[in-house]
Amino acid sequence: MATDNAAADGFGEVSRVRGIVFEYLSFGASVFGLVALGVLLVYVAVDAFDLANASPEWLLTYFLTLVVPFLGFCLYSADDPDVTRRAVVALGGGLVAVAALFTAVEALVAPIPRLNWQLAYLFVVAAPVTAYLAYVGSRGRVGGVGFGLLGRLIGGVAIGLAVGTLFLVLDPLVWFLAYTLGILPAVGLYALGRGRSSSRAQTAAAPIGLLGLVAAVFLRDVVPVFPSDLIIYLWTIAVPVAAAGAVLVAGRSGRTAAAVVGGVPLAVATAGGFLAAGAGLPAPTVLLVLVLTGVPTGVYVSRVVDVGEGLVGLGLPLLLAAGVVAGALIVEAWGVPAPDPWLDPSYLTEAPSRTPTEAGLYPAIVGSVIIIAMVAVLSFALGVGTSVFLEEYTPESGPLGTLTRILQVNVANLAAVPSVVYGLLGLGLFANLLGLGIGTAVTAALTLSLLILPITIISAQEAIRSVPDDLRRGSDAMGATRWQTTKNVVLPEAMPGILTGTILALGRAIGETAPLIMIGAATTVFRAPDSLFSRFSAMPMQIYTWAGFPQADFRYGVVAAGVITLLIILVGMNGTAILLRNRAERGS
Amino acid sequence: MASSHDTDATGITRRQSLAALGGAGALALAGCTQSGGDGGSGDGSDGGSGDGSDGELSGPINIAGSSTVFPLMSAVMEDFAEMHPGVDPDISSTGSGGGFSNFFCTGDTDFNNASRPIQPEEEELCAENGVEYVELIAATDAVTVVVNPEADFVDSLTTEELAQIWRSDPAQTWDEVRDEFPNEEIERFGAADTSGTYDYFIEAILGEEGHTSDYQATEQDNTIAQGVAGSEYAIGYFGFAYYFQNPDQLKALGIDSGDGPVEPSLETASSGEYTPLSRPLFTYPSISSLAEEHVAEFARYFVEQTTNEDLVAGDVGYVPATEETQEEQMATLEDAIEQAQG
Repeated sequence: MATDNAAADGFGEVSRVRGIVFEYLSFGASVFGLVALGVLLVYVAVDAFDLANASPEWLLTYFLTLVVPFLGFCLYSADDPDVTRRAVVALGGGLVAVAALFTAVEALVAPIPRLNWQLAYLFVVAAPVTAYLAYVGSRGRVGGVGFGLLGRLIGGVAIGLAVGTLFLVLDPLVWFLAYTLGILPAVGLYALGRGRSSSRAQTAAAPIGLLGLVAAVFLRDVVPVFPSDLIIYLWTIAVPVAAAGAVLVAGRSGRTAAAVVGGVPLAVATAGGFLAAGAGLPAPTVLLVLVLTGVPTGVYVSRVVDVGEGLVGLGLPLLLAAGVVAGALIVEAWGVPAPDPWLDPSYLTEAPSRTPTEAGLYPAIVGSVIIIAMVAVLSFALGVGTSVFLEEYTPESGPLGTLTRILQVNVANLAAVPSVVYGLLGLGLFANLLGLGIGTAVTAALTLSLLILPITIISAQEAIRSVPDDLRRGSDAMGATRWQTTKNVVLPEAMPGILTGTILALGRAIGETAPLIMIGAATTVFRAPDSLFSRFSAMPMQIYTWAGFPQADFRYGVVAAGVITLLIILVGMNGTAILLRNRAERGS
Repeated sequence: MASSHDTDATGITRRQSLAALGGAGALALAGCTQSGGDGGSGDGSDGGSGDGSDGELSGPINIAGSSTVFPLMSAVMEDFAEMHPGVDPDISSTGSGGGFSNFFCTGDTDFNNASRPIQPEEEELCAENGVEYVELIAATDAVTVVVNPEADFVDSLTTEELAQIWRSDPAQTWDEVRDEFPNEEIERFGAADTSGTYDYFIEAILGEEGHTSDYQATEQDNTIAQGVAGSEYAIGYFGFAYYFQNPDQLKALGIDSGDGPVEPSLETASSGEYTPLSRPLFTYPSISSLAEEHVAEFARYFVEQTTNEDLVAGDVGYVPATEETQEEQMATLEDAIEQAQG
């Protein structure tokens, strides 16, 4: 009793050691994977861009002409003395710290292969500081405008390239007919119906569009003469995009601005397309890139000019371009040895080769992009369909409810089935039984869609489940049918969550190799696939093969360039999806 | 707006000007048309230059099989694809056996590469599915036994010693193999049992004794090389190409089959001195595929290239065929093509 009383005196003490240890352990756990991956990516980037052979003078030149002005822009936009002070301290202090630490490690512990302290500084200090300042800067008015413009330029180029790639496998003639006979009349009718608020015209739009699509497929072999590909793309994509841009601007800033925003990019793109055709470049892709970059940029600039704030930001792309040009000129004049990156334009446009310097990834890039586009559409449609059915339409009790629960459990278990098994399923079901062909793009897309379907379904279900029931009841109380509730209330609310799940799943699909091997996808092809039924190779397949080649240049340089390309495409894809998601979030 | 005011003055109605514009536009468009006859898109043939004989060949060529033959075959394909823009070749590295049983003998590929001759059960499978084929020699490879460059104690091994190291009941330490070797444990890195190299190694060195399972098995030569480079007492074997491209990374052992040690090289393998580990590599075109002209032309081109030293030896690291072998192979091939097309 006496001891008990002694312990009960005052408040007693609880050791905080365990809590602190736990905190640091969890910190370590979160950092461990990131650091390991970071080190790997640094080496891959060093290999891909041949940075090990970049002289310090070369790095310094571009640091001064490109990075420093960019940081200056961000600091100007942030307009915060605290941030400026922190950035200067980090860059300056980081320089000293990294140089000292790196030299000490090399001298005392072991030499660090293929890195020097300048590169270490670049990756450990300069890159994170730049990213942080870009983030801070983008929240300012000027920075927001600058990054918005930059994003539209880069995004336009990326989307133009992606659309151009997709049209490699689509028959442009069918597309031309489908657009002219199906899509255009349907959209026109719908717009007319909205304008005159005639619901009959709106209802008629869908059947007429479908009719046109069916007619297009039949007429493809009947019509003897078609416009050339360039005219087709001009008519079906460039003109509508320009018109849409012009309409957007017309409502806000008048007809002249609208004509400029629509007309100038259209004229430039048309001219570019014909010039490219003359120069032997892929004219349709040039046309698409120019128009898909030009119109959104024009719309954005016109809006910024209207608002009249942060106009200086519009100079950001010019600043960066000037930095690149100035850097190149100085390097040229100075005669500084420049790195010879593996990841260069020819790598992205050439076929694989036995010579490392000539090897390219083009057919595999096209293969991957086409497959992922199909997987995105298929898995989104199937995933959302399934999850809406499971969440909104199935009863929760009774024998049907039991069935639903069994279905649920099985969907969850499917997510744990190894990818090789999906490959076997694809080989048996799609390639052999349905006769879609061994190693064809459509077989691969269907197989990969099945592979990620469980993930898509589960995440979409979670998103739909998290829509508050009050909203549904409210909609019911207004007299809405279940379909109206689902369409107008549940799906818009759940869309951000659904998109997040789909993004993660697609990231998995683009990197898969095992199912592709099982369905007999080619390791190496020398031409980009030109239809959904042609055999293809995907980026991970080609990269894996190169990693086994005897020449060291393949195993380091060419493979590293492939990894970076894969990552860039993945980031681009995720970026697009995240933008869509953010838009959906803002909308709801 | 302005033009409608001017209508009276110039005498041109809006309808007329529209018609004129439309007519001009139609004329302009007519210059940019294509026929809808074939499925191909119009922009593909940018050059269209006059080598008519090349332009005729078109169609896919599907090849699967051995990862050992893969670099050679894909190098030949690369050149062939460049010469014939209409041909669309693709190649998969599936391993000799995987290619036969999953793709070739089911009639899904035109060629199967193999680093060993086709085996009886594969012949049966092909016969069941009615797939006929012809055997062509692609090149000669020298299976190379490598040790760590630091391992000064060993420069060559006899075939018996090699068998002692790799048989199913293997020597555990180096001094069990030869007395003057150190008393250190042997670390083994070799080809996986799906590989043709594995089959060949058993046939040439081990015979009935069988292959040990106490080793690191892999399809990737890289992994073998890194394993051996990582330990002074390691030993491994793989195709010659890897050693040929990275001669400083590892030390190749001479093999003594009774006439003194012979080191692997293009010369010793070509002259037949490097026995018993020099082996022929094969490719098997299917007869029914040879009926298609572009496949037959590719097969001819491939046999022609088997004597190309720059390509076979320089770029890939195998031993080119002799003129004599090439003539025999070409004769076999022409017979098969005749059978297919005749």
